[in-house]
Amino acid sequence: MKFGIFFELSVPRPFTRAIERQVYENALEQARLADELGFHWVWAVEHHFLEEYSHCSAPELVLTAVAMQTQRIRVGHGAVVCVPEMNHPIRVAERAATLDLLSGGRLELGTARSSTWTELGGFGVNPDDTKKTWDEFVRALPVLWRREPVRWQGRCFSMPERNVLPKCVQDPHPPLWVTVTSPGTELDAAERGIGCLGVSSASYQEQERRTREFHRRIQSCNPVSSVVNDQVATLNFLYCHEDRKRAAEIGMRFMGTFSVANSHLLWTREAFPTRAYQSLANLAPSASSQATNPSEGVALPEGLCIGDPKHCIDAIKRWESMGVTGVNFLLNGMEVVPQAAVLESMRLFAREVMPQFQERAAVAPARTAAAVAR
Amino acid sequence: MITGSARVEDLKARRPRLAAFDAAPVTLPGVEIVQAMFEMPGSARECIVPPGLHPTIPAALVLQAWRCPESPWGPFSLVQARAQTRSGVRPRGFVTGAACDSAAAATALASGFGYPALPAEIRWQRSYDTVRLEVLRAGETILALEGADPDPLAPGDVQFSGTLNLADTPRGWRLVQVDPEFRPTRAERLHPKLSAFSAAAWGDPRLDPYFPVSASVTLADVTIPALRFVCRPDELAFTGTERV
Repeated sequence: MKFGIFFELSVPRPFTRAIERQVYENALEQARLADELGFHWVWAVEHHFLEEYSHCSAPELVLTAVAMQTQRIRVGHGAVVCVPEMNHPIRVAERAATLDLLSGGRLELGTARSSTWTELGGFGVNPDDTKKTWDEFVRALPVLWRREPVRWQGRCFSMPERNVLPKCVQDPHPPLWVTVTSPGTELDAAERGIGCLGVSSASYQEQERRTREFHRRIQSCNPVSSVVNDQVATLNFLYCHEDRKRAAEIGMRFMGTFSVANSHLLWTREAFPTRAYQSLANLAPSASSQATNPSEGVALPEGLCIGDPKHCIDAIKRWESMGVTGVNFLLNGMEVVPQAAVLESMRLFAREVMPQFQERAAVAPARTAAAVAR
Repeated sequence: MITGSARVEDLKARRPRLAAFDAAPVTLPGVEIVQAMFEMPGSARECIVPPGLHPTIPAALVLQAWRCPESPWGPFSLVQARAQTRSGVRPRGFVTGAACDSAAAATALASGFGYPALPAEIRWQRSYDTVRLEVLRAGETILALEGADPDPLAPGDVQFSGTLNLADTPRGWRLVQVDPEFRPTRAERLHPKLSAFSAAAWGDPRLDPYFPVSASVTLADVTIPALRFVCRPDELAFTGTERV
């Protein structure tokens, strides 16, 4: 089981230059500590225009800063939005290779297509097209990274023969992932041989179904590259404290704040009727909940790591038992948890919880210890 | 987090009175529904909704028109203008204004469910590839909306959210939560074009639907169920919701 931290970089109002800077500095401090404590990944999202919820629009710069301040932790795009209006695929390949180079081969590249009208509308993207362009990006990137020179004739971009530079440090290239919010995307991941990067809350039952299907399908995948990434990572909230009640009080406040900010976004399916977005995705309330009591918040997902160390161990064991190979943690939301408390929570988790899983890994190597060479 | 900043006092004009919360459920078979969403500028975000609600990011206005061939009050059309919001974390439209072409239906929808439905002439025109909707009040065109170039969708692909209708109720001024159930049988997406929109006639002169997002036309059976919840307009839904 691998553990990571996950940055949305949510910023509370009023938006001042000081608070945005503080959020970024706090994140960098968390990344440095995560590196020291033995966390495996630090991920940064790519979001645009998502006031409060995420002010992380240039993750490649955040991750470069992280890479420059850390030694071992892997840096993950969680994830690059694969629509050409936002990111041209050649630029994605170039930036990723540069970050892989600067980090000494520590890059993981998540791919995504965005789930809000707030973002897609801002860039003039037709929501009908995003799945197609994502598909082309994940097929093109390994080719752009490896072939010298390379040409491409596709639906969303074409290029005559050129040498895309620089090349990645990792051979053949950084592990590829896709963020999974809508049900069914885990199958897209499996069929292409790329890792499943969960970025929304799912119940144990739903995650078990998704993970089982992913592991089953990936056995017979048609990989987009010469390597298969068969890892399944889920997203969780972390607030670990010796006093379970105190942990719940603080952790639930940050999770609730984060979820409410999430619900304010204008979801693609809500704004633009399309077959390409079959769910509202993320932590947004589902349409079927319309008739419910509005005083109820977002239903709390199962298996949160908000509690004392024993609670966190039990939750992670449950995720592990269903084939999940990594858990990424949101550590704060809108800075409702003081930075000192976030760092203390990370330290306690590393001291009391992580060793339980390192020992287990030593006895039985994780099924996905490495990408499967083909 | 962003919340509405409109003074409830300023929103009370032309709002209906509910004598009770006991309106019987209404079933409307075969309703033709035209729905269009437009973005509004930030200047029309917090200021047009009450403090109990959160506007979406970005601000959006939904125009939703129902053409009902059958109802307890006979055939009628209803057009609503709704600021897209969240009540707690749930998507809801805050109805800023509404028009209805049947006096009986308007009275029933206002007194039973809090729709601020004012009388108007509502004209529908459907050609091979275009749906046109025009709303006139006192001879003035207060809305001219067109949806063109239909693209077939699965019936469930169009999302409808319930509404919150500000009304004077037995408990005082409340946002009355109306959760119509939609059972769609056909849906098409359209390209929206708004050629006339009189903001004041739809409840607030600051409404500014300047950027078209999408439109759809759906055929659905609609049920307006009995009321279950109301919310205090000046308090967030997490604490301001009351069961009726």
